[in-house]
Amino acid sequence: MEFEAQENQGNNSIQGVINLDPQVNQVQAQQQEITIKQTDIQVSSTLEESVAVTLLRDLRQIGVKLRCVLVPTMSSNNAKELRNWDLWGPLIFCLMLALTLSMSGNNNDGTGIFATIFVLIWIGSFVVTLNAQLLGGKVSFFQSVCVLGYCVFPINLGALFTLIFSFFYLKMFLVIGCFLWSTYSAVGFMKLLIPEQKRILALYPVILFYLFLSWFALIV
Amino acid sequence: MDFGIQNQTDEQKQANKEYPIQNNNEGNKNQQGYCAFLTIQFYTPYFNVTETDVLQRIQGTFLPLRPDFLNLIRGNPDLWGPIWINATLIFLITAIANLRQIDEEKENQSFVISYVPQATALLYIIAFGTPIILAGVMKFLGVDLSFFQTICLYGYSMSTLLPITILCYFQNELFLWLIIVYGFANSSLFLIVNLKEELDKLQIQKKYIIIGIVVTMQLALYLFYKLVFFSYVNK
Repeated sequence: MEFEAQENQGNNSIQGVINLDPQVNQVQAQQQEITIKQTDIQVSSTLEESVAVTLLRDLRQIGVKLRCVLVPTMSSNNAKELRNWDLWGPLIFCLMLALTLSMSGNNNDGTGIFATIFVLIWIGSFVVTLNAQLLGGKVSFFQSVCVLGYCVFPINLGALFTLIFSFFYLKMFLVIGCFLWSTYSAVGFMKLLIPEQKRILALYPVILFYLFLSWFALIV
Repeated sequence: MDFGIQNQTDEQKQANKEYPIQNNNEGNKNQQGYCAFLTIQFYTPYFNVTETDVLQRIQGTFLPLRPDFLNLIRGNPDLWGPIWINATLIFLITAIANLRQIDEEKENQSFVISYVPQATALLYIIAFGTPIILAGVMKFLGVDLSFFQTICLYGYSMSTLLPITILCYFQNELFLWLIIVYGFANSSLFLIVNLKEELDKLQIQKKYIIIGIVVTMQLALYLFYKLVFFSYVNK
């Protein structure tokens, strides 16, 4: 019983052969040690790099995932990228949206708006994902929260547009465009995972979620 | 990256087979009994509807005197309706209440964000709290209430508020009071007619307690609606 193990860390790949036959365990254990030592070298090299490099790498990963989510081409590369979910991207976009909306001049309750948007995005993603799971969809929880968070980015753009422009119908047109973009991306991801007859029941909450956020971006 | 390496030797596998498996299952069952309502599997049977079902159930709430609704949900109460009808209502309340204010005062247009937490608390407490109260009171009076059917009933009774909220955009004070009173009458009748089956298990005097609780909560809901969200805006 042998199989090959491959690990990809960045651009390096480590190969090893692991034999499950108990008689040659010892010899193979040594090979495993060599494999693990190579991994250790990878780990310590990321510990020793500068903070800027780490941050840039994380930002680059966020950028890659953003492109996967928002340019709705359903290739298998996209699907593989999305399986490595992270919550940094959603957090950044959520904070950006909450800050933009709470600092715009049209209100006198900035802290309330910040808190409401923040809570709305996280609890909204949580409830929408839970709804999809309860309807029988085979959707991994954090992956779905991750995708919903990344799709908030166009609404961020919409909020920035409303800050820049002042003509109401232009603002409305832009925000509606951003809403349709967000919804199309999120729906494209989620509709693959839901059984056929309950599809609208699972997609309506997504639409409501982005409608709520876009409406905030427009009016505040 | 899963290796799934099995580290057990053959002797260990033999020993494991003799380990009493029944104990494990019993322990799991006990855990399932007490904390079952915290798992997802507990609620999955209540999401067994399609979109046509949901639309039919919402239509059933607009004509309260016809007993269609109970036939629609018999044996298959759902939780999708209660949760998402209330979420839609929260959005509509926030949108329309703020739109009313924006139209009125052109100088200092302030956006009221406090409608969101207020509406959330109000709607979800009435939609989910009242069935809990009713279940408690009925149990105290010695009768069992089918809990999820009542939650489903309450959730769908909120769908009367959907057109009412949209109509509340208009500024005419008398019109608003009229539609609020109509909504209150409609939803109270709907609830009482559909709870009649459960209420018939009780004696006459005790029925009035339940009817009183139902009507009071609906009254609180509609008054709150009118006085807090869509109150009179001075020109």
